[in-house]
Amino acid sequence: MSDVTAHPLGTDGDTQVTVATGPLVGPVLRRVVGMLAARADLPLDRLDDAVLVADVVACRAPPYAGEAVRVRLTAGERILWMRVGPLRAGGAEALLGEAAGAQVGSVILKLADEVHVDTEDSGSEFLRVRVAYAG
Amino acid sequence: MDHGPTSPPSESPPREREQEDCDIRLTMPARAENVVMIRHVCGALAEALHMPAELVADIKLAVTEACTNVVRHAYAGVEAGPIDVAAEPLAGCLTVVVSDRGCGIDASPESEGPGLGLPLIAALSHGLEIEHGPQQGSRLRMSFRPHGGRFLAE
Repeated sequence: MSDVTAHPLGTDGDTQVTVATGPLVGPVLRRVVGMLAARADLPLDRLDDAVLVADVVACRAPPYAGEAVRVRLTAGERILWMRVGPLRAGGAEALLGEAAGAQVGSVILKLADEVHVDTEDSGSEFLRVRVAYAG
Repeated sequence: MDHGPTSPPSESPPREREQEDCDIRLTMPARAENVVMIRHVCGALAEALHMPAELVADIKLAVTEACTNVVRHAYAGVEAGPIDVAAEPLAGCLTVVVSDRGCGIDASPESEGPGLGLPLIAALSHGLEIEHGPQQGSRLRMSFRPHGGRFLAE
């Protein structure tokens, strides 16, 4: 078995992506998420899932994000964290609800391993999504 | 929904707000593998703006060179810090600013001159501004102008 991994040796910090609300949110976010998912050594199906989550966020988050969509990404070994926000109060749950297909329910909830909503004292919310591969 | 105690991703130190009004901003550790991502994103941005292929290639090369300089020189001898890339399509021009918090730009002690990086960036871009100072980091502002291209942001 090869020990080669796409995850770089040593510690790596977070990646912060900020894109003004508009047509560039999707093209930018999906590429960054795709590359970090690959670096996290996620298999292709989970990489696709992470990119799909990014597409959903890019499509649905702008009404709740204000002037810009902000996503903080952390790539670990076969784990990718996405922290979307700040979102206005109620925005995280609304985003999850609106990202629903007719037959499948919330796409993000279906694809993610964990979904959390963090609320700050100011009322701003952060949607945290973990996409991982358990083997 | 799970509101369990799973640890969130660690927070990076807060960044200055001076470029918050840019259209796109990426902040990440100044590591070689991240240069590839920045190149990829800037190329995608230029393509989304319908810039001509030749200019897209120039942008990717110039941004790659600027980011490589940060990775190689900005944090030499100290723990690597962040690289910050801001991009803004404005008034028929794409401006990309690459900045760091490192030691500033200086002639490499390993070479006799300033190297080829900055002259190459200057040749590829329509405008280049450099700000730097000891322990203040550096900032390269590159502007690119298409010849007859169409901008989404216009």
